[in-house]
Amino acid sequence: MSDSHETPSIDRRLLDQPWRFWSTVAVAGTLLGGIILGALIIPVVQGRSAGLDAYTAICRALGILPGSPAQPQPSDRVQRTPVSQVVWTSELLHILARADPARGRTKALESCAACHGETGIAVAPDVPHLAGQSGPAIYKQLSDYRTGSRAHDLMAGIARALDETALADIAAYYAGRPMRNPNPATLAPAPAEIITLVELGDPRRGIPPCASCHRAGSGGPIETPVLAEQRDEYFIQQINLYASGQRRNDLYARMRTIAAQLTPSEIAGLAAYYRAGFR
Amino acid sequence: MTEIHQELHERRILGTELLWAFGVGVLIAAILSMIVFTALSIGVNPPSNVERLDPKALHLSGEFAEDNLGTSVGSDGRVVVRVIATQFAFLPRCIPVPVGRPVTLRFVAPDVLHGLLISGTNVNTMVVPGYVAQVHTEFTRTGDLLMPCHEYCGLGHSEMWATVQVLPENQFQPDSNGRVSCAQR
Ligand code: HEC
Ligand code: HEC
Ligand SMILES: [Cu+2]
Repeated sequence: MSDSHETPSIDRRLLDQPWRFWSTVAVAGTLLGGIILGALIIPVVQGRSAGLDAYTAICRALGILPGSPAQPQPSDRVQRTPVSQVVWTSELLHILARADPARGRTKALESCAACHGETGIAVAPDVPHLAGQSGPAIYKQLSDYRTGSRAHDLMAGIARALDETALADIAAYYAGRPMRNPNPATLAPAPAEIITLVELGDPRRGIPPCASCHRAGSGGPIETPVLAEQRDEYFIQQINLYASGQRRNDLYARMRTIAAQLTPSEIAGLAAYYRAGFR
Repeated sequence: MTEIHQELHERRILGTELLWAFGVGVLIAAILSMIVFTALSIGVNPPSNVERLDPKALHLSGEFAEDNLGTSVGSDGRVVVRVIATQFAFLPRCIPVPVGRPVTLRFVAPDVLHGLLISGTNVNTMVVPGYVAQVHTEFTRTGDLLMPCHEYCGLGHSEMWATVQVLPENQFQPDSNGRVSCAQR
């Protein structure tokens, strides 16, 4: 019994030798086979059908040469004005983060309060509430009024009179105001199909759920405005402007494509849902 | 244990080990040959185009500005399709392409990772913000194909899809700018 434990170690190593040898051969062989297939045979055969010579195909497979065409493609159409000039660079996000709501309040009282209200609760039905609106959303819209991407005679003139920091300060001030409390008078139970549109969208028409972007913290685009408790007159007006293409400052036609597919009764239902003030 | 016993024991272990090694080897070889076969016979390969583009300013870039998206035919007859994949839609949402002609598809994303495939074809790619995803292909049958986003991109991901309209040559008519739009049905 004891003897098997005392087998001289030299014997064991001898016993192992062919195993080590052949497993090394197997691993190295697989590696080599993979390199030959992935870096030589497949690129050369595939490159032939794309009109590439063997050398270029191999270099591209190895990542030494970029793919074709590496040069940016020229646009083959006369360029029109972009839908918006706003670019969410890190400098811009810094300006927004450093904005001063106190300074913003002074400016807002001077030039905005007459229409949007001191705390951001507007009186006239076609003027949107700004209280509790997201800062980036306010900034983007002001910026678009200023550059003419969003057309409105009054707001364009007002926005042009302000500089970048002022826009950011005012945005920070209104964003910091709490929204109104849900108004019990407006709280009617919403029809099931409206709740479905908000929560689930309509895959058949390719309409994503409104809440996938408009609910706070949903992870949608940074400039998405808060809709909760927004005026229904303003809401309906904006959806119709998107649908007809008169308002086209939404990047990548995000809202235009959605708005164009909503029926009038859906638009009215959504406006009522959001005015009631939940999410 | 005697020498003989030990020897027999070793042999049995060796037999089992070799059997398993053979089974695993066959599996690996089968999977690898499938990959190699699809790569060589139907041109399935990882997209090899490395081309950078600032994702924050796509709307200001000449190529992917809104007016330049969709299908266009260059003066050399090359068909190029430019598409933006964004939360939660493709723009444009209907893509016309000709049947039986080489087509270059170019995709970009401004926000998060997206992916797409065109059903029944070899088009299947990720769309990574900051890079142009480019695919060369040729459509072999006319008809409408579904192009869903296949990389979870947010709460509206399941509503993100587009239609690829593969048109016969006589219906694929570029206008004076070389632009082609989907046939209305
Ligand atoms: C004369 C009235 C008036 C004044 C003063 C005014 N606004 Fe407006 N504002 C409007 C109207 C009306 C609209 C809706 C315009 C539209 O339909 O495009 C609007 C829209 C906006 C919007 C877009 C809101 C959204 O949800 O898209 C923002 C942001 C805004 N105003 C900010 C301001 C700020 C900041 C000031 C002060 C610097 C200001 N406004 C001053 C009337 C006014
Ligand atoms: C993909 C994200 C996304 C989805 C889904 C979405 N929206 Fe929007 N929505 C936006 C963005 C972004 C804006 C601001 C666009 C701009 O920059 O002008 C916006 C703007 C709006 C506005 C104008 C608000 C204002 O203050 O001016 C309304 C109204 C609106 N959306 C309603 C809806 C409704 C109703 C739905 C669901 C049927 C919906 N949205 C789904 C992203 C989305
Ligand atoms: Cu997606």
